[in-house]
Amino acid sequence: MNEYFNKTVSAAPLAILRVVLGTLLLVGIIRFWMKGWIEELYIKPMYFFSFYGFEFVKPLGNYTYIIFLICAIACLLVMLGLFYRVAITTLFLSFTYIELMDKSTYLNHYYFISMVCLLMIFLPSHATFSLDAKRDKTLASKEVPRWSIDVIKLFVCMVYVFAGLAKINSDWLLHAQPLRIWLPAKNDLPVIGFLFNKVWVAFAFCWIGCLYDLCVPFLLLNRKTRLVGFSAVVIFHTFTAILFPIGMFPYIMIGISLIFFSSEFHEQLIGKLKSLFERDRSFESSEKIYVYPQAAKPFLMGFFAIFFFIQVILPMRYLLYPDELFWTEEGYRFSWRVMLMEKAGYTEFVVKDEEGNKINVNNKEFLIPLQEKMMATQPDMILQYAHMLRDHYLQHGIKEPQVYVDSYVALNGRLGKLLIDPTVNLSKETESFRHKNWILPSPHEISGL
Amino acid sequence: MWIATVFLLGCSGGDPKPEVSEGDLDRQVMLTHWADNIIIPSYNTFKILLDDMIQKSEAFADAPDEDALIAFRHAWEAAYIGWQKVELFETGPADRYTIRNFFNIYPTSVAGILANINSGSANMKTPASYANQGFPALDYLLNGVADTDEGIVAYYSTEPDAEKRLAYIKRITDRMDELLTKVITEWPTYRAMFISKTGLDIGSPMGLTVNAYVLNYERYIRSGKFGIPSGAMTISGETKYPDKVEAFYKRDISKVLATVAHQASIDFFNGKDVVTGLEGPSLKSYLDGLDAKDTSTNTLLSTIINEQFNAANAKLDLLPDNLHDAVESDNESMLAVFAEMQKEVRLLKVDMTSAMSITITYTDNDGD
Repeated sequence: MNEYFNKTVSAAPLAILRVVLGTLLLVGIIRFWMKGWIEELYIKPMYFFSFYGFEFVKPLGNYTYIIFLICAIACLLVMLGLFYRVAITTLFLSFTYIELMDKSTYLNHYYFISMVCLLMIFLPSHATFSLDAKRDKTLASKEVPRWSIDVIKLFVCMVYVFAGLAKINSDWLLHAQPLRIWLPAKNDLPVIGFLFNKVWVAFAFCWIGCLYDLCVPFLLLNRKTRLVGFSAVVIFHTFTAILFPIGMFPYIMIGISLIFFSSEFHEQLIGKLKSLFERDRSFESSEKIYVYPQAAKPFLMGFFAIFFFIQVILPMRYLLYPDELFWTEEGYRFSWRVMLMEKAGYTEFVVKDEEGNKINVNNKEFLIPLQEKMMATQPDMILQYAHMLRDHYLQHGIKEPQVYVDSYVALNGRLGKLLIDPTVNLSKETESFRHKNWILPSPHEISGL
Repeated sequence: MWIATVFLLGCSGGDPKPEVSEGDLDRQVMLTHWADNIIIPSYNTFKILLDDMIQKSEAFADAPDEDALIAFRHAWEAAYIGWQKVELFETGPADRYTIRNFFNIYPTSVAGILANINSGSANMKTPASYANQGFPALDYLLNGVADTDEGIVAYYSTEPDAEKRLAYIKRITDRMDELLTKVITEWPTYRAMFISKTGLDIGSPMGLTVNAYVLNYERYIRSGKFGIPSGAMTISGETKYPDKVEAFYKRDISKVLATVAHQASIDFFNGKDVVTGLEGPSLKSYLDGLDAKDTSTNTLLSTIINEQFNAANAKLDLLPDNLHDAVESDNESMLAVFAEMQKEVRLLKVDMTSAMSITITYTDNDGD
């Protein structure tokens, strides 16, 4: 054990990871900004769906742009390796803040990026090929502890394996859902489009996708199969980029997979990149080995132990809840469940007062379309919205407003059914980690993990 | 090994299904059918009816007598019914000019109409002016300005403001003519884009058409014609708004208008060619091509949707010709129609669009 922790490897892979992540995130933020999504998603809405326990994280009106600006600057600094620790910490905090502002925009890959940034705060990614190392010769190192690269590999592997395990369910493997719905929508692609009408193609995609997630970590870890694994990564993510609107995610996953490549690969890559700017083409002139201060070691051990413990527990927490996960979505987020559901809903809220007067709520008055769409299928958001309505009508002079919802939800091609008990006054229900017994029992049986 | 076993199960043991006809999933064929055999000819038919109404309105203006009034009114009624067959196509040119806003926003504003008659040159393009024009304004001007036809003719012939009143009718019909002409003129150009952009993403012609179709059913048929007058949409069933029915002044055509609008939605769903009456590529055949069905009963989704249309029609049939009276005397019958249509809205808005992977006007954002 101790022997493992004393092993060192080239510092190059971590440096490349830093540059790749900084660059792609910077592009991602500029893209988000240019598309007007900051305004659209964080300034225009009048209400935001905060995460339980993080209610204090809210957009700051027009100052929200400053959070994105800070985040973008942090990306740039991380990419350059300048003031690295401060920069990566700022990146983690600002990026995570952005993701926590509204549940409606929750995506697994944003969470993934947050977690990678969190890990990188504690890793010596600036030890080489960075402005910090250039300025500070005592920092510049040729080698870093081996575990500092392995934690990233371990985390990426966990993400793939959990994503693969989540696909072992009857909808995905036995009914090819939801790909069977999504693929025909792309049947007008040139050359291959016609294939997407075929049910067997949807089945093939589902099975290959599941096997891909489960196998790719091992293909990448093993030197002999690494190229096969990486080709699979590139092909798979290119396909998803063509087929689905998932933005920067495919490129980020491809970029991060580079971490599995050999030291020589990364050193040569750094040499090539360096030759663009300067004559010195060697990857690192210093012969130093990066060592953590002795006092930091117990803290680091503790941090990584807790981090990985949580990462194992979170995707499995759904087991503690009764009923069907896809229906209740209790324990669904932060679990690497990606593209598993075609879920659409229609919710109509009614606010009543003591005298029996009632108001039919027009959701468009309170929510933007994305929020309405997300809220319509997710019970915790329905509850948050019900409370928002309660508070709104309380302010407008209605005594003890009662909030009821008529919610109709279709899941993976099944006919829609009522999701929430329409007789329950949601203004009286509270959020907690306990099972919400006002979610109607799932009308669907889906077996698997 | 067990994975391979499950794989075999997945292929052989999965739900047995009829062979899908892939032609049904060719969106270009469907879009072409929609444009050439449904939307464009529907506009052309409506144009004939509107032209006739305008002609009759001019004849009435030239010589306002009871015969001319009755002829104008009949032509208005026919055109109003014809409008119900095109109101659902608010995509492309119709969407660009938001033609519905100028043709059929009701209840009409009597105060607004009277003010416009007085001014003679009021702006007819602002949102505030929507309720002062179109078929509902003509409804008031043809049926509501006096109790008898004699009185109405006098309103346009012997009374002091008669000229101004006739002039306002002309402003309304000119505006309708202008907008419809623009829409009809632009459709052939729009058609090229309409049938070639076959994606389903936000802003795609098919996405927009289905959005407009569902919106029309939900807001302008279910809510506008039934939900709002019956009070189903607002404060509890106690508060009814019989004066908010369509064609409030003519009254006895409100059911016909609703029935025709509802049937137009049914026919569009089934891809009925408006000239030959035969069904073609449609939302129905597309859903069948996708094999969309209720897996618990193995019933096709298109069948469920059509059965629900029939259920709504059955309740519609029970209504009297005059929906104002229905609200006043037997509101339950109105609420019953609303309830059936509400079920249909769910099927169209959630089940149909989800099965087709069409997004209902949601923000263009990444998903995962």
